[in-house]
Amino acid sequence: MFEDNAIPDLAAANASSAEAVSPKPTPLEEEVVALFDQMRDRLLRYLLSTGVSIQDGEEIVQEVFLALYQHLQRGKSRRNLRAWVFQVAHNLSVKHYVARRRDRQNLLDSGEALAQSLLVDRTPNPEDQLAGTQRHARLQSILGALPEQDRQCLSLRAEGLTYREIGRVLDMSLGAVALSLGRSLARFARAEER
Amino acid sequence: MIFMLSKDSRHLHVADQELLLAADGELPSARAEEVASHLAECWTCRVRKGEIDESIRDFVHAYRGNLDPLLPSAAGPRALLKAQLAEMTAERAAVPQGWRARWLQGPHLRYAGAALFVAVLALLIYLRPAFESRQGLRIVPVSFPEPSLTPGVAAAMNRDEICGSADPKNRIVPASLQRRVFEEYGIAGASPRAYEVDYLITPALGGADDIRNLWPQSYSSAVWNARVKDALEDRLHDLVCDGRLDLATAQRDISSDWIAAYKKYFETDRPLQ
Repeated sequence: MFEDNAIPDLAAANASSAEAVSPKPTPLEEEVVALFDQMRDRLLRYLLSTGVSIQDGEEIVQEVFLALYQHLQRGKSRRNLRAWVFQVAHNLSVKHYVARRRDRQNLLDSGEALAQSLLVDRTPNPEDQLAGTQRHARLQSILGALPEQDRQCLSLRAEGLTYREIGRVLDMSLGAVALSLGRSLARFARAEER
Repeated sequence: MIFMLSKDSRHLHVADQELLLAADGELPSARAEEVASHLAECWTCRVRKGEIDESIRDFVHAYRGNLDPLLPSAAGPRALLKAQLAEMTAERAAVPQGWRARWLQGPHLRYAGAALFVAVLALLIYLRPAFESRQGLRIVPVSFPEPSLTPGVAAAMNRDEICGSADPKNRIVPASLQRRVFEEYGIAGASPRAYEVDYLITPALGGADDIRNLWPQSYSSAVWNARVKDALEDRLHDLVCDGRLDLATAQRDISSDWIAAYKKYFETDRPLQ
C-alpha cells in the first residue's frame, strides 16, 4: 500500500519537471486532461474492482487517455466518449489479465481479487459501524461469489453507466445486462431474507 | 402491459425485472408512467421496489466504501498525462507535413480509390455475361468469396466462450456441405484438393456452420491463398483473446474484406509467408 502510493508521487515529481519546460497545452490536450479529471477515479475504481492492482490500474488509465488523445486527433467519433473510455479500459484490463495469467504471475483470479479488495482490512468509520458490519460482510461474500460478468455489470452500473453503455463495454445485449443486474440483486435480496 | 401474476393473490404485480428497470430509469416513458401509477396503488410492489432500491444502495455503499480509500491522489498521474500529451504533440509537430503528406492524408486518395472501385465493378458486371456464356460456369473464386453467396454468418457467441474453447481451430466441413458449396459456386466437378472449403468467419472467431459462411478458397492462388487466410484467423483470434480487439470488429473485418484485414492487422501489403 505504501509502495503503491509512493509511485504516483515520484511520477508527479518527474512529470512536474517535464511540465515546467513544456509549451502551452493545445486545446485538444486540455480537453483530454479535463476528461481525465472527470473520469480517472471512476475508471480506476472499476479496474480495481476487476482485480487489477493500483499500479497497473494507473498505467491502464494513462494508456486509455493517450489512446483517447490519438482517437480525437484523428478526427474520429466523439459520440459517447464515456462508454468509449470504459470500453478501452475494460479491453486493456482483459489484455492485462490474460498477460498475467500467461506469465503465471497472477495468483488470484479476478473474482477472488474483487472479494479480497472488498474485504480489505481497514479501520471502520462511524458510518460503517452504523450500517452494520455483519450485513457488509454478507454482501461482500455474495459479491465474491458472483460470476465475473455479473460483477462487472454491477461495477459499471455503480459507476453510472446506462444499460446501453454497459452492453457496449462488455459486448452484451441490453436484455443480458438487465438479466445480469436482476440476477445479482436477487442474490442480495435472498441473502437479506436469511 | 407486462404484469406478472403473483402466487399469493389474484392481483397483478409488476415483475422484478421491470421494477429494476424503473429504479434505474431505463423504462420507456409511457411504460414508466404505467409502472409509477401501479406503484402508487400497490403496497406489495412498493415494498418490493423498496427492497430493490435497498439492494442497490447496499451494493453502492460496499463498492464505494471499500474501493475509494484505495484510490491514490490524481495529482501525480494527471501531471504525468499532461507531460506525455505535450510530448506526443511535439513529436507530431516534428514530422514534416509537405504537400505530398497532406495530399495523402486528405480526402483525394479516398475519392480516387472509390472511383477506381466503381470502375472495376462496372467492368466486371459488363464482362460477366460474356464470360459465363463462354465457360458455362460462374466465375470461379480464387482469393475472394462471392458476397451474395457468402456474406459471412456469426453464431451467437461471446468472447469468453470463444477464448475459453479448448480447440479454436476450424472444424472440418462435412463432405455433403462441401459438395453443396462447390455446386453453389458452379465448380461441382472441381478437385476437392484444389480448394479448401473455408469458413469466411472462422469458428475460432464465432463463425457459424452455415452455407452462407462457407466458400471454396483456392490453394493454388500464388499470393492470397488459404494458408495466408489461416494466418490472419490465428492473428485475429489472438488479438480478440488478448483484449486488443473486440469480437464484432474482428468478425466484420474478416467478412467484409479479408485481404484488407490481413494488410491492416499484419501492417503489410504482401503476405508474410
